[in-house]
Amino acid sequence: MLKDYRKEIMIKDGTPVVIRLLAREDEQHMIEFFSRIPEDERWFLRDDVCDPEVLREWINNLDYQRVIPLVAVIEGENRIIANVRIHRRPAICLSHIAHLRISVDPEYRNQRLGTWMLLDAIKMAMNIGIEKLVAEFVSEGEEAAVHAAQKLDFFEQAVLKDYVKDKTGRYRNLIIMVKTLHRDWSDF
Amino acid sequence: MSPEPRTKSAGVKEMVIDETPDGELVVHANCPPGFFSGLRLEGGIGHFSHYSSIIQKLEVFDRVASSQDGRVCLALIDRKVVVGYVTGSYPDPTERWSKLGPLMYELATIEVSRNYRSKRLARTMVGLTLDDDFFEDKISYMNGFSWHWDLDGSGLTMSQYRRMMMRLLAPFGFTECYTNEPNIALREENLFMVRIGSRVSPEDLQKFRNLRFGIVR
Repeated sequence: MLKDYRKEIMIKDGTPVVIRLLAREDEQHMIEFFSRIPEDERWFLRDDVCDPEVLREWINNLDYQRVIPLVAVIEGENRIIANVRIHRRPAICLSHIAHLRISVDPEYRNQRLGTWMLLDAIKMAMNIGIEKLVAEFVSEGEEAAVHAAQKLDFFEQAVLKDYVKDKTGRYRNLIIMVKTLHRDWSDF
Repeated sequence: MSPEPRTKSAGVKEMVIDETPDGELVVHANCPPGFFSGLRLEGGIGHFSHYSSIIQKLEVFDRVASSQDGRVCLALIDRKVVVGYVTGSYPDPTERWSKLGPLMYELATIEVSRNYRSKRLARTMVGLTLDDDFFEDKISYMNGFSWHWDLDGSGLTMSQYRRMMMRLLAPFGFTECYTNEPNIALREENLFMVRIGSRVSPEDLQKFRNLRFGIVR
């Protein structure tokens, strides 16, 4: 199913974009991609994505049973303009759940690219038998991402008040949103 | 070993699938207009509490078969009871895909009676329908709208049904493509499966790609 995975999309301004799996050749492009993500946003990521070692680890230890890493590139180039990682849990009791982490190049925001990435992640999740998708957002700064998730039927499941600290040491809420991949029509 | 299809007059192909207590199970592809009189639909095709068959009247088969390049493939018991069907036709003029004219061809319906599933009938019917050089000049597609899926009858979840449809069509060269076509985009589980014929030009492919995102050029 993942072999030759490639989805063509077109963003709002007509730029053709391809969504595909992260490849070994992407290391430098990933470094460049994350260098374009504002520092304030990188602060809240779980990994230090500016550390080339971290990205090398992501790329060299691909294990699709644990993480499915998808990137969006401009067609004909290898410039990465969005990244989504679908994290699966090894525990059997949590194997029906996946966590999403998504980043979009600031230059390509408001182009529905984030929405396409989310949609692609949802379809991928359906293809691999996931039943619930979880995405976390930090308050005061990720409203656009929250809005995109809401449009795709992610619902706010919990808000952890004053859970994370920003760069200045100020506490922010962590919003946990969950999407249930419907089993049948009665779920609606 | 799978039985070989026999080609009969006027391009009609038939393949004997099985002997059942109700009679011989045979798949007929490229059924011509007029083929359908005297047939009847088996009880597992029709209207149910959470599911309705897309085709419930035999006249529809005749209409499709009479249309330009329309194709009807039927699975018949005892040569008179319809237990499955596949139809193909050009897109309706009101559909987005009609903007590319006869380049686009829709695999419009695929259904097997609730009482005759798990016999690989759908696969056989799709295979016989597509076994034609005609499709090498076409972009064939199938809309998989989840509201047409028989979840109750199949006992499958949305995701499982979706995967079943993908597995059904993948061996024939179909892959899922993304589009912002409103009906497909309405539900994320909906499927737009596409097969690109080997003689489709790069220019037509580009037009198709544009059209998938609502751009006509």
